[in-house]
Amino acid sequence: MAEQVVQLPNPSGLHARPAKVFAEAAADMDAEVTVAKDGDEVNAASVLSVLTLDCHQGDEITIRAQGQGADEAVSALVELVEDGLGEQPA
Amino acid sequence: MSRHLTGRAAAPGVALAPAAVIRPPTVSDDGETGTPDEERARLDDALQRAAEQLEELAGHVNQELGADEAEIFEAHGAFAKDPELADRAHKAVVEGHSAAEAVTSAFESFRALLEASGSDYLAARAQDLDDVRDRVLALLSGGTLEVQAPSERSVIVAHELSPSQTATIPRAVIAALVTETGSPTSHAAILARSLGVPAVVGATGIVDLASDGVELAVDGHEGVLIVDPDDEQRDQVQQRLDEDARRREELESLRELPGATADGHRIELAANIGAEQDLADAVDAGAEGSGLVRTEFLYLDRAAAPDIDEQADFVSRVLRTFPDHRVVVRTLDVGADKPLPFVDREEEPNPALGLRGIRLSLARPSLFRDQLRALLAARADVGEQGGRLAIMFPLVSVPDELIEARRHLVEVAAEQDHDLHGLEIGVMVETPAAALAADRLASHCDFLSIGTNDLLQYLFAADRLLASVSELADACDPIVLRLLGDVAAAAHAHDAWVGVCGEAASDPTTAVALVGLGADELSMTRAALPEVKAALRGVTLTQCRDALSAALAQTDAEHARDVLASRPS
Repeated sequence: MAEQVVQLPNPSGLHARPAKVFAEAAADMDAEVTVAKDGDEVNAASVLSVLTLDCHQGDEITIRAQGQGADEAVSALVELVEDGLGEQPA
Repeated sequence: MSRHLTGRAAAPGVALAPAAVIRPPTVSDDGETGTPDEERARLDDALQRAAEQLEELAGHVNQELGADEAEIFEAHGAFAKDPELADRAHKAVVEGHSAAEAVTSAFESFRALLEASGSDYLAARAQDLDDVRDRVLALLSGGTLEVQAPSERSVIVAHELSPSQTATIPRAVIAALVTETGSPTSHAAILARSLGVPAVVGATGIVDLASDGVELAVDGHEGVLIVDPDDEQRDQVQQRLDEDARRREELESLRELPGATADGHRIELAANIGAEQDLADAVDAGAEGSGLVRTEFLYLDRAAAPDIDEQADFVSRVLRTFPDHRVVVRTLDVGADKPLPFVDREEEPNPALGLRGIRLSLARPSLFRDQLRALLAARADVGEQGGRLAIMFPLVSVPDELIEARRHLVEVAAEQDHDLHGLEIGVMVETPAAALAADRLASHCDFLSIGTNDLLQYLFAADRLLASVSELADACDPIVLRLLGDVAAAAHAHDAWVGVCGEAASDPTTAVALVGLGADELSMTRAALPEVKAALRGVTLTQCRDALSAALAQTDAEHARDVLASRPS
């Protein structure tokens, strides 16, 4: 299992567009990926579940992966979040 | 008997028209529940078809209304494809529920979570979920999602108007929008304002009170509705309608007249075009061609670059729309904030200052040359049957970029054996560097068009979308007016014409100053055209120049604006 905490840079938080980018990337991974905030852990490939975490700018989220390519999945997703998920980072 | 109802005012104006009640989509209960495997197959099929329909709708809306409006349907498509949603529905099916029941409960579980968050944004997404759920249910039951839109101009009444419903009602039939739920920021309210029709939201009970064909008076200033108004009430509403109509008629009577000052100094008044939908509206508003045709919508939200034919088709349609006028097409203007899957590029910490506009085009010449090929193909195709094509390069900051862009154009023209004679080439002046180098740029091109939105943003280092700093940048600031005057003088010294295609051109007060400083053309959102035309026809060129001089003598934007607004008339 791999796990890493990352801070969300998006000024408007994890709203629909970046959440979609994140979930689609997570769904493309071979590993099973989850994302957690404040103890709530959800399927990272589910845009609706990711939205329900109600993540705002500066929130710390934990990305965990299990199975084949878990390490690569976590580092790729962390990088995607740090780069603003297709949005201009703050 | 007439009935009063009060809701919340969401878009100004008054309307008096028969009601057309939009019912929720029909879902027929098919009764029979199949085996879990059968139900699961139906469920997966309905979810997949819903996702496909929504992606198609997103593509359609992107073409018609632009990328921002399409975003919501892309999110809807992602909701329909959500693996966790499907998982929850599958579990319900295994427990013996029908596909419809399973879908309803799966959506409901997410709806509850989103609503419980206490976030307005997520609560609004909960409403989006209902829209997607209804689509899936309609697909499952063989029911319909099609809105039964009225054929004559009506007050559209609904419990709630989903974005996908509003996108399918023909705009010409909408006299006003009234909903039981919603806020002034709901889709219906935004649509109403963009159409210039009144809207009232939060009108609880209106769906039961109004039925198809019953007359409705809508006051979008006060948020008041009168169902089946009596004679006296009709008279009052009619009076206000008459006043509005008189003003519109005044403006309408100017429609066919060219843009000019009271003493006959000619100013071309053109419309900005950002999507197919804008064309008819621009013609309606009496636009003299377009001073800014944005081409980004052809590129955004797609996996592969648009082919030359598709681009050329669009440009041909624009040229044919304005057979007697000039059409200024701006080449692709995107930055790292709008990454295109088919353009390989680096991530950037600061896209506003990165590889965008002409910089991207010059760095990706095959993409740029395809666009130039499409523009020339459209020009050749339309010939004398359409308007005069002009090509504008965005975000130029040094003359070399213009020279390099021209070189590509000349090479592409030679390839196609295309005669460039009569084709105007220009620069969109958006960077302070370009504004200060106006004389050098003007010596290499036919026109300069000032993009005030970006120019102001770069001049004041203030993001115009950021409320805390956006007020710093005002087009009426004396230093801005002085700079724009210098740009115009430099252009004229080289026989280049000067346009303004930013938001500043759409404000009647600022427009007077722009004419005073020498603008030959103003291009704006079409809704602003009639008022700007009326304002300019009310002043002489000398008055514009005097107003500008007075504004230039002020110490700040606020005072300059006051001086311009109190110009003699």
